[in-house]
Amino acid sequence: MIKALWKKRVSRYELNIAGDNERWFTDEMWFQLQTLDRVYGQVEFNQYGQPVMKLAIPFYEGESKKAIGVVVQLQKIIGKISSMRQDHSSYIYLIDDKDRVIAHQDYSKLWQKQTSGSEDELGVTAEIEDLNWVLVMEQPKTTAFAPINRMLQSGIGAVALMILTVSLISVWAGLYFTKPIVSIDREMNNLKQGRKIKPVKMKRTDELGKLADSFNDMSKELLEKSRLLEQEKERLDVVVNGIGAGLALVTKEYRITWMNPILKGWLKEDRLTLPCYAVIGGENAPCLNCPITCPDLDKIADEVMKFKDGANGERIFRHRVFPLNHAIDEEGEFLVVLEDITEQKQLEETMIQTDKLSALGIMASSFAHEVNNPLATINVYAEDLIDRMQADDEDLDEDEMEHYLRKIKENTERCKRITGNLLNFSRKNDWTEDQIRVKEIIENSVSLVEHQLKKQRIQLELHVEEGLPAVNGDGLKLMQVIVNLINNAVDAMESEGRLVVSASERNGDVVSIKVTDSGHGIPAEAMDKLFDPFFTTKPVGKGTGLGLSVCYGIIQQFGGSITIDSKPSEGTTVEIQLPAERLLKAGLDVAQGPIEKDRSIGSHLQARESVVNSENNYERSAQEIMEVGYDVSNKIVSR
Amino acid sequence: MLFLESGGDEPVEIGVLMIGENRYEKFTGLEAGLKDLGYTDNEVHFTVKNAHDDEVLIEKQIDELLEDEPNLIVTLGGIETQRLKAKMDERNIEIPVVFAGLAAPKELGLIKDYKSPGGLFTGINNYHASISGKRLEMLTSLVPAIERVHVIYDSKIDVSKLSLEETRKAAKDLGVAISPCDASSKECLDTLWKTVDDGEAILILPSFRIESLTAEIVKLTEEKKVAAMGLYDFEAKKGLLASYGSSFYSQGYQASRFVSLILQGNKPGELPVELPDGIRFVVNQQTKDSLGVAINQDLLHIAELIHPEVQGGRKR
Repeated sequence: MIKALWKKRVSRYELNIAGDNERWFTDEMWFQLQTLDRVYGQVEFNQYGQPVMKLAIPFYEGESKKAIGVVVQLQKIIGKISSMRQDHSSYIYLIDDKDRVIAHQDYSKLWQKQTSGSEDELGVTAEIEDLNWVLVMEQPKTTAFAPINRMLQSGIGAVALMILTVSLISVWAGLYFTKPIVSIDREMNNLKQGRKIKPVKMKRTDELGKLADSFNDMSKELLEKSRLLEQEKERLDVVVNGIGAGLALVTKEYRITWMNPILKGWLKEDRLTLPCYAVIGGENAPCLNCPITCPDLDKIADEVMKFKDGANGERIFRHRVFPLNHAIDEEGEFLVVLEDITEQKQLEETMIQTDKLSALGIMASSFAHEVNNPLATINVYAEDLIDRMQADDEDLDEDEMEHYLRKIKENTERCKRITGNLLNFSRKNDWTEDQIRVKEIIENSVSLVEHQLKKQRIQLELHVEEGLPAVNGDGLKLMQVIVNLINNAVDAMESEGRLVVSASERNGDVVSIKVTDSGHGIPAEAMDKLFDPFFTTKPVGKGTGLGLSVCYGIIQQFGGSITIDSKPSEGTTVEIQLPAERLLKAGLDVAQGPIEKDRSIGSHLQARESVVNSENNYERSAQEIMEVGYDVSNKIVSR
Repeated sequence: MLFLESGGDEPVEIGVLMIGENRYEKFTGLEAGLKDLGYTDNEVHFTVKNAHDDEVLIEKQIDELLEDEPNLIVTLGGIETQRLKAKMDERNIEIPVVFAGLAAPKELGLIKDYKSPGGLFTGINNYHASISGKRLEMLTSLVPAIERVHVIYDSKIDVSKLSLEETRKAAKDLGVAISPCDASSKECLDTLWKTVDDGEAILILPSFRIESLTAEIVKLTEEKKVAAMGLYDFEAKKGLLASYGSSFYSQGYQASRFVSLILQGNKPGELPVELPDGIRFVVNQQTKDSLGVAINQDLLHIAELIHPEVQGGRKR
């Protein structure tokens, strides 16, 4: 063991006087001092408890080796390291070359052997050269990674928040976009099902807002139109049910798809399986001129039908068919309208009869006179014969007696003819379709008014063409017309006029009958009303006002036309045009010459001019029309 | 006991006890130290009790401070610490205490042992008692011509008496004649005014009462043109020739380490009491020049000179 010798001592706390047994160098340091140029001692405590460390540096003074040593106070450095404020559970410590902790925040760890940092800790080290001390800074991983964990957690939180936010935005956006659509859809369904709807309220100016506005406008308009439609339908229902006509919809296959209640009541048959012509007309085939059969006609079919109606007897219906331009599929393209014209027909008949009776009344005195003359003749011949037979006149031979009896017979026949005509004229009859000879009818008519003409000294001219074609219709009705016209002419002339009755063929298919007088004519203001029932210009008690109206009706039934041409103060011409029956033309009696009776008794003419055409075109017979496809709308055919 | 845990929004409450204004430097040092260690103003709040050298007042202030129950108390000197300990023992209060520099804590019964103080007290032994002998050596070495040293002590202060003992021992070892003077009696300074002569010097021992007499002592040394050695740099600054000891500021600064260690969970009883990190040897250039005595140049080399601007005796 080597003992160092003290040369000098300087102390901070002590007197600079060395103690007797003071030994500064440790053995180890002394040993190291031989080879090293710097020697550190171990960290130790001085007598005051301060951590200190010895440091010695050798030097040579001449040949002798000496050393200077200092005791380094470590209190400050260790204290500073230990007491440094540390955050987050981190700590700094210093270990010496013997791995002893010489500075530590936790004083309980001081001077203990420090094993290398555990796996749960994160640390950095800094080695202090020469001394082989290591400064360590450690932190538990849980603390070290806490910010990262926190960051991760907050990251996950942020992601979750973002997802939530995005979800909420999505939900919001979804609701934002779907809610208006849903409410529009709901209101649409309400609208569809006819429920009450509310306007879709949306305070938005985007497309959806515009859509909602459009929907509101549309639904409002739709409701308005629906309401109008309802009103229209109600009106239509009232009309359809209250019109008094039977209505039916018919398809191209003649199948009835719908009937109104009136028609159902009339038909007592609401089966829709039968074709219309069977159900309505009771026919086995479609009606003639039915627009269903003849679509090219483009006109309304008009036909009068009669059918038995049980206890009420026979009823007369007008049957018309209208094609529909906007038909509903399977609902029928044609509207059939049936009108009950039974009463109308009966009225017409009554009118005709009334007119006839009126004419008879006018002609009554004439008839009496007409019958009286032959009766007087018969009386004279019969009395004379009786007288001569009582006187046993020898001159009364067989020839003379035959002459007397023949005269009586002639006059009797004449009476019979007169009364027959009268009877015939006055008979109430239904329309009797026949082939009539116009000449005969004219003659019979004239015979009824002959006395009247004579009485009023009217000159009658009769011009009937030879070989006139026959006319289809009721001869008696035609006679009524002619008698009416002659009566009107006689009334217009009052006395001493000229009456011309003529008949001729026009274009081979029309027979024209004209009655011309030289009377006072018809005032212009009366022309429009001539055919109106009960319109008359005659003095009270002289006319019923039915004459021309009845004539018009009859000529209509013939399918002909009637024209009145009047010149005030000059006279009036009435022309009747009737469809000729060509087939019978050959079979007619053409041998008869024109009846010409010039019985000019006087004339009284009034000048006034006016032309009235009740019908511009004459009508044609049914058969002819069928052949050429002419309009049949005003043709009335009785069954 | 961990005061600075994360999540604690409330600052740590630190009570500070000081007997007089001149120890305020310690508090300044304490604040600076804590700041350097990483503490912010928001983390630490001080309640400073200054007794203004009033021994009665300090008792009252200790009561108030204990009422407040701070997390930790820093005492800035021996008397404060002794009084506090008495009160705490009496009331059985347990608050960690850091003494920011006092002389001979073990001898005063504040700690059991320097290395393991035990109990609630720890801090800095400023060594001003033990170093008294060394200071006598420094004084006599600096001015080799000194024949006698008047030692001013305070018989009412334990530390002061201990220091006198140390001084006596050293005087014996160094062969220096000393004359103790008890500052607690009014006659002390009067006697000195009468007796101090050339070739004599004055050595000041620790006592807050003597600290408060500094100005008068400075006046005496200037008049009598005698060398004087104080403990603190402020004494040299005021006009004594030199001072040798730990400064108030550095004691406070050093005490901040204890505060930090306790705040971070260490028990005061486990923290070894430290000696001052540094001893300042301060020489007043002005005084040295005005004394006109021979100075040991070797020692002057290691001294901190103050008032260098008046070097060469331009003033006085």
